[in-house]
Amino acid sequence: MNAPGVPETRELSYAQAIREAMDIALAEDERVVLMGEDIGVYGGAFQVTGDLVEKYGTERVIDTPISELGGAGVAVGAALTGLRPIFEFQFSDFATLAMEQIVNQAAKLRFMLGGAVSVPVVMRFPAGSGTGAAAQHSQSLEAWLGHVPGLKVVQPSTPEDAKGLLLAALDDPDPVMIFEHKLLYKSKGRVPAGRYATPIGKAAIRREGRDMTIVATSIMVLKALEVAKTLEAEGIDAEVIDLRSIRPIDRNTVLASVRRTGRLICVYEGVKTLGIGAEISAMVAESDAFDFLESPIVRLGGAEAPIPYNPELEKAVVPQIPDILDAARRMANGQV
Amino acid sequence: MPVEVIMPKVDMDMIVGKIMAWHVAPGEAVVKGDPLFDIETDKAAMEVEAPASGILHHTVGEGAEVAIGQPVAWLYAPGEIVGDAPRTNSEPAAKMAKAPRPPAPEKAGAEPTTNDKFRASPRARKMAQQKGIALDTVMGSGPRGRIQSMDVQDHIEAKSTTPAAPAKNTGALHITRSKGGNGIPFVLLHGFAADAASWASVETHLSHRPVIRIDLPAHGRSQLHAPPSFKDLASRLRSAFDMLDLETAHIVGHSLGGALALAIADTRPRKVSGLTLIAPAGLGPDINGDALNGICRATRAESLGPWLKTLVADDKIVSDGYVRAAMQTRENADLRAAQRTLADTLFPDGVQAFDMSGPLDRLDVPTRIIWGKQDRIIPWKHALRARGQVALHLFERVGHMPQIEISEEVGKLIATPL
Repeated sequence: MNAPGVPETRELSYAQAIREAMDIALAEDERVVLMGEDIGVYGGAFQVTGDLVEKYGTERVIDTPISELGGAGVAVGAALTGLRPIFEFQFSDFATLAMEQIVNQAAKLRFMLGGAVSVPVVMRFPAGSGTGAAAQHSQSLEAWLGHVPGLKVVQPSTPEDAKGLLLAALDDPDPVMIFEHKLLYKSKGRVPAGRYATPIGKAAIRREGRDMTIVATSIMVLKALEVAKTLEAEGIDAEVIDLRSIRPIDRNTVLASVRRTGRLICVYEGVKTLGIGAEISAMVAESDAFDFLESPIVRLGGAEAPIPYNPELEKAVVPQIPDILDAARRMANGQV
Repeated sequence: MPVEVIMPKVDMDMIVGKIMAWHVAPGEAVVKGDPLFDIETDKAAMEVEAPASGILHHTVGEGAEVAIGQPVAWLYAPGEIVGDAPRTNSEPAAKMAKAPRPPAPEKAGAEPTTNDKFRASPRARKMAQQKGIALDTVMGSGPRGRIQSMDVQDHIEAKSTTPAAPAKNTGALHITRSKGGNGIPFVLLHGFAADAASWASVETHLSHRPVIRIDLPAHGRSQLHAPPSFKDLASRLRSAFDMLDLETAHIVGHSLGGALALAIADTRPRKVSGLTLIAPAGLGPDINGDALNGICRATRAESLGPWLKTLVADDKIVSDGYVRAAMQTRENADLRAAQRTLADTLFPDGVQAFDMSGPLDRLDVPTRIIWGKQDRIIPWKHALRARGQVALHLFERVGHMPQIEISEEVGKLIATPL
């Protein structure tokens, strides 16, 4: 029994939460269609779409040919002409094939046509390493798209946000790119029933702390929280911020936290150089939060290498819990 | 511009250092971090590394005594024109003594000091500006001597309580090193109310390797300020250990020093190749609070003697002469006061208020524990909490001071590889 006004929550996996969001959207709004390779009878490369094709039919859950450029083009065109498509990539790596439609069309048309149109397309990208899928199926390219004005880019880390951000994306008049970490699909969490939206552009403080701020994205949030738990036993009190949205970035939440703690670690899976951590660090360095820094900023990101196939090397090229722990301890012990 | 090589400050009361030997002749090239010269003070000898890469010129002769902070040589870039010795960038030693701001004073091969710029965190700069404090009067406790907001805060507090008091909780701990020895160094951490001298009898068995002794805060020649918690104490020791910049070390800790050895190994496991814990604190709540209290409060040999006897199994070791000598090291009222404060923090109501059994359980560092079964300060049975991988050496008819009571056995044990 729930108190009036408090939504019921259930434990769902991240993948189930996304499917529930799509189910709600398909049921409520006939303009919503799903598009992507093998999302129909097969249920999607990561089984996220599941059996939605049985419920809504092949008119609304549409298998597209093996051409990301073609599929994304159809989705952008459909959005321009009144539908609300959700386009699924099998792997975020294949965004590279569809860059023309994403970067030159979806992101630009509102501006080039003087605001006469908008492109309310949602694209979903299974991203990240850890599945043994090697160099062409394991990348974290969110910062690429985060660099493009006209797009919104989000990275939910919890089932609740996976659902809430997808529904918020559908409400948004402009293109929203959702990067879903493949290793999160099976993670579980409490998810409110029914329709709700998680605001795009708002970070979440997952753990409050005094001694340092760890800004993390996607699966790194879970790792940072593990680290914070270990640090707590050592008397180190880390604040963990889940960035959730990398375009726009929630500047205020990050800066306020750094003003409090005076120390900043950025953790993200994408390549460290020219990545999300660079943006966060520069944001702090350019603001008055700089005056509150007590030590240099530390970034932990992907290595300067394609993701290797060898499982041990695959782990070694992205930040792992011991790496974050070590960095946090060094920072707390005044070694940086 | 050539880089100045200065006489580093290697211990707290060092004013001059003597150049014992140069490893590099004038005109030869060195790489940053190479051993450059040996110095000797009245207590220690040490090797100083090149602060930068370059070609060595204008060296001070061997045997010369040089004030700390003064140049002893210059390093030139290849092709740079070498004329007369450049004028020094350093402040004269006398001026430095008046306004103490030596960044990272204990670090060998410290970067040359510059007058206009020094390290301070943005937060410390802002705080100093708001409170109207000149940063060059604040001592930095951060990496490479960086002034942090805590240092400014300490400076303000020190000023408001006793105007003449030195900045507290700053400055590295007093460190002494043996001469000679090769291989993995031993780092010795003494117990509560003792000092580095308590290792003397054991050290003869360790001389084949470098031996480094650290005086704990509020002890010996380290600053007489009691850290406000075990965590702070451990963090001071960790910083001192980091400053040693060793590739790896075997840490030997007695009593409180044992608990601190565990704390260091817990966060620097790759830097610690072995641990010897002698009657370590932190493995159980019990401790002889009366004895600690008695030792802290004693102002005369007559009151100190009976308590010193509780430290050992055989009273006769504690002769009248020994007690008088021990009292002499405790003559400083500030030292006694600081240790009383520390005892209240670490052992309130005669209880060990910190627990290091967690680190002992999870540490993957070869470890041995040495304990006397007549220990009247900390019950030897705390040793039984160690997991099976830890070697236990339990001695009959030995008290809390095995390194003094059976120094030969303990020395040989420590010297035995784990």
